Amino acid sequence: MPASAPASEPESEREVTITRIFDAPARLLFDAYSKPEHIKQWFGPIGWPVTLCEMDFRVGGKFRFAMTGPSGRQNTPFGGTYREIIPNRKIVYDNGFETEGAGRMLVTVSFDEHDGRTTLTIHTVFESIAMCKSHTSRGFEQGTNSGLDQLGERVAAMAAQEARNA
Amino acid sequence: MIDAAGPHNLDRVFAALADPTRRAILARLAEGKATVNELVEPFGFSQPTISKHLKVLEGAGLVARERSAQFRPVRLNAAPLAAVAGWLGDYEQFWAESLDRLDDYVKVMQKKEKRNARKRTGK
Repeated sequence: MPASAPASEPESEREVTITRIFDAPARLLFDAYSKPEHIKQWFGPIGWPVTLCEMDFRVGGKFRFAMTGPSGRQNTPFGGTYREIIPNRKIVYDNGFETEGAGRMLVTVSFDEHDGRTTLTIHTVFESIAMCKSHTSRGFEQGTNSGLDQLGERVAAMAAQEARNA
Repeated sequence: MIDAAGPHNLDRVFAALADPTRRAILARLAEGKATVNELVEPFGFSQPTISKHLKVLEGAGLVARERSAQFRPVRLNAAPLAAVAGWLGDYEQFWAESLDRLDDYVKVMQKKEKRNARKRTGK
């Protein structure tokens, strides 16, 4: 993490853990993570294909991805450096958007195989609580009765209204 | 809609949305435009505080002031929110969808592996 990270903020308030169990061996999941031809097949939500995928998969090597959304224009690239690689077990990298002042995150992907099934854990530590909140739905549920979902609904209704008036 | 929150603006949008008062202001403006004074009352903040929040929202392109009208009412600009809601705003949703795809893709990888194994053993 860069020196600018506010070290005083407790990690527990700026981390997100995502877990999924796959009916597949760890080596295949690790493979899916470590080669661009595989990454392009699964990384990102549907409708946001990876259209830039540069990766130097070794400790100290860099990666750089970008996705193209429904507008057809490529979004801001993001990327970082592979910090630690243990084949079929663990990948650690830092990541962030290539935007001035954009925050960084440190991501640890673990592959734990038992009886042919693999638990994939993505542990992300954001640079700051503010960044964590802005990137996760949790942040929008706290301290206000005007969560983003609710806001999103109203905005959608407004957009529909505008479209009718146009 | 997506393009309205271009690369340089996205961080400003996130920063603006990270504050509960600013989200509440946006929610209020979603119901209709309001003057600064109309925003001061329900939130119990001073006018300079509200103005400061509005400046941040304006910088992110989330609100606009009407320059010509009296009292310069503030209105919501929904476009950058649509881009954020698209995928960037929700990291967990991003991964939920990616891992759904990975689940499908790893099955394809497994099939390929089995086919190749059969080829090697000549079965």
